[in-house]
Amino acid sequence: MKCTPEEYAFHQRVLARDPVAFSELAEWLYASLVRDTGRRARSRSGNAVDMTLVEEAVGEALLDYNDAPERYDPEQATLHAYLVMAAYRDFQNAASKERRHAQRQITLAGEDSAQIDVPDGRSELDNLLNRISAEEWWSLVESTFSEPADRQLVIMLANGVRATESYAKVLGITGLPTEEQAREVKRAKDRLLKRLKRLGESHDGRT
Amino acid sequence: MGEHEHYQPSLTRLASLATSRSSLMSSLMKLYREREGMDDEQLAAFLECDPGALPRLALCRRPRQAPDFRGDIEAIAAHTGADPSRLAKMVRAAEVHEALSAGGTAGGPSILMAARDHEDPAAEEDDTSHSGEATEDDSR
Repeated sequence: MKCTPEEYAFHQRVLARDPVAFSELAEWLYASLVRDTGRRARSRSGNAVDMTLVEEAVGEALLDYNDAPERYDPEQATLHAYLVMAAYRDFQNAASKERRHAQRQITLAGEDSAQIDVPDGRSELDNLLNRISAEEWWSLVESTFSEPADRQLVIMLANGVRATESYAKVLGITGLPTEEQAREVKRAKDRLLKRLKRLGESHDGRT
Repeated sequence: MGEHEHYQPSLTRLASLATSRSSLMSSLMKLYREREGMDDEQLAAFLECDPGALPRLALCRRPRQAPDFRGDIEAIAAHTGADPSRLAKMVRAAEVHEALSAGGTAGGPSILMAARDHEDPAAEEDDTSHSGEATEDDSR
């Protein structure tokens, strides 16, 4: 038996459709599953990972387990390892989907954008702005970007600001060499645009 | 130390993800909130529990039908601090909404009994003693 006695007890209760077993299990394991799946994803990719994607993957793995607990074999792995593996698989699928999507889409603003073939001549950010009301846009920005600097950068992106030095000021990196400033600005833009892209997708999913 | 080390997972997000799973309370709670026009605070007030307990409640399995209904309600109530009779009332009402929005009469008599419970304030008192179980039994 690979699973721990505590896991085994939970597993038996989930199998027996105990009404509170899954809730207790989630409280017990959720945070560590997110942490360990995040570590695994980062160690495999060698890069920073999007923890919101990781958390969603862990959530789906846990919910799938609750829907079909008989798929888990306590002889083969600990429940924790089984769920991390399932979550990591979900995460990989979601990340691949996002990468494929990104390859097909434009990269939005930034110095390279002029060289990218944009099918309809507008950036993805413009598309998002065109699909939602101003009020909805502000509400999305408020709820998605908790850092004031991020919000300011997003507003600059939305307004089509291109000058690197403007972004560098907001990032507080004007003291760095120009090349380094450009790299940092690009990194910040890429990060925010990636989140905006996802925001647009989830907005489309809801409508 | 990476960003993920500081990342704070939230059971609220998991509970929100769970609304698509019909086996969990989360789907019933969503339906009930929508139909009754309640937010989380109001739902917690109705259930006489802490709003912070709502994610725990959302992740509980939906109570089974009789003869397990009453026991399941009591277990969920004990786990979340909700009032058992209010919880039973919410479950019944949400099941009615669910059956009606499915467009059928699949629930048959039990749906009608649930509707009665939902509209009859006396049923609330009754549920704490025996009617939760009795209603399910009567419906068979």
